[in-house]
Amino acid sequence: MSAWPAEPAHGAARRVEAAPGLRLAALGERLLPLVLVAPALATVLLFFVYPLSYSIYDAVFEDGRWTWANFEKALALYGPDILLTLATVLLSLALIAVLAVAIGGYLTLGEHPGAVALLRWLYRWPLFIPFIVTAQMMRTFLAKNGMLNHALIGLGLYTPLEAPSLLDWRGVVVAFVWKQTPFVTLLVAGAMASLDRGYVEAARNLGAGRLRILVEILVPLVRQTLFVGLVLSFVIMLSVLSVPMMIVAGQPTLITVDMAFRITAYGDYGVANALGTISYLMTGVVAWLYLRYAVARAGRS
Amino acid sequence: MTITRRTLLATAALSAAMLFGARELPAQTVLNVVTAGDQNMVDYVNEFLGPRFEAENPGVRVQAAGTGPGDAGSRKIYEKLKAQADSGAEVWDVDVAVVHQKMAGQLVQEGLLAAYRDEVETGRLATRDTVRNALGVNVEGYVMPMFHSQIAIAYNPDVVPNPPKSYAELAEWVKENPRAFGYNGIKGGMSGVGFVMGWVYAFSPLGDKLFTGPFDEADVKLIEDALAGLKDFNQNVTFTPGNAGTLDALNRGEIFMGPVWVDMFYTWMADGRMNPNTRLTLIAPGLPGQPMYYVLPKKAAQPELAKKFIAFATSPAIQAEGIVKRFNWYPGIDAEHVKPYLSEADWNKLFVDVTPEDLKAYGKPFPITPYFNAILEAYERVAG
Repeated sequence: MSAWPAEPAHGAARRVEAAPGLRLAALGERLLPLVLVAPALATVLLFFVYPLSYSIYDAVFEDGRWTWANFEKALALYGPDILLTLATVLLSLALIAVLAVAIGGYLTLGEHPGAVALLRWLYRWPLFIPFIVTAQMMRTFLAKNGMLNHALIGLGLYTPLEAPSLLDWRGVVVAFVWKQTPFVTLLVAGAMASLDRGYVEAARNLGAGRLRILVEILVPLVRQTLFVGLVLSFVIMLSVLSVPMMIVAGQPTLITVDMAFRITAYGDYGVANALGTISYLMTGVVAWLYLRYAVARAGRS
Repeated sequence: MTITRRTLLATAALSAAMLFGARELPAQTVLNVVTAGDQNMVDYVNEFLGPRFEAENPGVRVQAAGTGPGDAGSRKIYEKLKAQADSGAEVWDVDVAVVHQKMAGQLVQEGLLAAYRDEVETGRLATRDTVRNALGVNVEGYVMPMFHSQIAIAYNPDVVPNPPKSYAELAEWVKENPRAFGYNGIKGGMSGVGFVMGWVYAFSPLGDKLFTGPFDEADVKLIEDALAGLKDFNQNVTFTPGNAGTLDALNRGEIFMGPVWVDMFYTWMADGRMNPNTRLTLIAPGLPGQPMYYVLPKKAAQPELAKKFIAFATSPAIQAEGIVKRFNWYPGIDAEHVKPYLSEADWNKLFVDVTPEDLKAYGKPFPITPYFNAILEAYERVAG
């Protein structure tokens, strides 16, 4: 008997000792995901959410008071530039899409192994060239007396006096397409390569040509990948400063140049942030379209 | 075991020798020089000024950093100093800064600089107006000009034997020779900005009020009227991408005339990157030029050494060898102090096309900051 009181007491003490340990372990298990996610979350909050919020705040508040003045000025002075930016980026996207599909299609359906290998080796090069280097190359290539015009004059297409300078929005489109096509192609060609070859073979057996297989079978099957590549390219191109800065001579120009100019010439962060917010809205619309598409797709599957 | 012990002992002895040996070396003092402007500014400090100053001052290391071209580079320096001032830092990490005129005024107005000119021996050698007045702001005592530069019109005499002598003549010439004149607008560097300022000097009735003020909001209308003519002018010009873009276009024969920085023009010429026939001219009523200033931040870590550095950099011998001979700038201190240190040929090199008389007649400052900004915004509204 004498041992009974001691034992439960001892056992209770053990339980009492074990309970905080268990609680701690349970707490640890609950906290672990938070601890693991904390650095990433802190990075996003500190380097993305905070600057974004601050930038929008600075665009709509002046001396603590709400105002549309910065947006009014941004639209009055840079309205044509905003439209040109959107048009330039959308035109570039369209060309990138066509080229990426064409290159990816040839890599998947091409019948000449040498040509396929050469194209596969060649198309990725611009991926490793930074935008600023691309801009510098295009500046020499597309100038009135640049290499492109020399070649075209050599071919007898026009005379030196008729040679146009492409150092305006057209030069930006060329630079963007040259730089971003490999990125989208890489994604698209990868997606095409991973498709079941059975679809292609079946279509071929039924007599479909390569173009028809590309347009009616491959493109619909990889359209989500193509869409992702284009969305990412849209965001990247919208943020590039070096290309329009170095290629576009005079007005109109792209809004990244206007943002830099507002800050460097006037120290005017308000209008620069208003232009930045307009840029966020453009990317926001694209992001929303992408999310809607992704959610719809997830719902279907 | 013995070998190991010996090795250990030897290592310990060597470490001790290195440790104490290192202690016996004189401590190195770092002088932080931060400069706005093109890469040639950083090169000038790193390759020319720094090594010479270090040789004269053992134990000192000059550490130069560039913040980028144009007013944007000066703004970065301002933002850095302002942030350090706002944070309440006792010592700032910039000892000497090199800034453009526009930002020098703001730095002085916001109390971020120390007055030092009277305390350096070369202070009395600089007496031009730019020593006292930076775009309408009194900077007396706070600045020493590193150099002066000037915007002029470069032209190809093979195609243009008789270049226009004034803005009015240029406007006529451009009508007769569409797209043969090129400039870089206002967003591609200061040579284009300077050309636009010169247009307002020529075609607005504001005259010297642009340099002396006071700024009157009603004058914006007069500026817009003057720039309306520039919109028509722009229909017949070729726009170039940047200051270097104008020189490139001249070289490629895409344009026959365009505004350039004189020092950049001579440097390209010296490097063999220009058609050697290309010439410069200053047209009436004048084009702007500006100095770069040496300034001393208020809480520099090494204020005395910084003053010594600025005195060295603005000494006649250094101004002659570095500023004039090697980098083709007009001297920061008065020319008569520099001339004795240069050969006649080196001196004349700067004044082949643009004579001292031209500079006196047509070398203008930039407008005071409110007019400067008003002209840029008016250009964006009216002529952009």
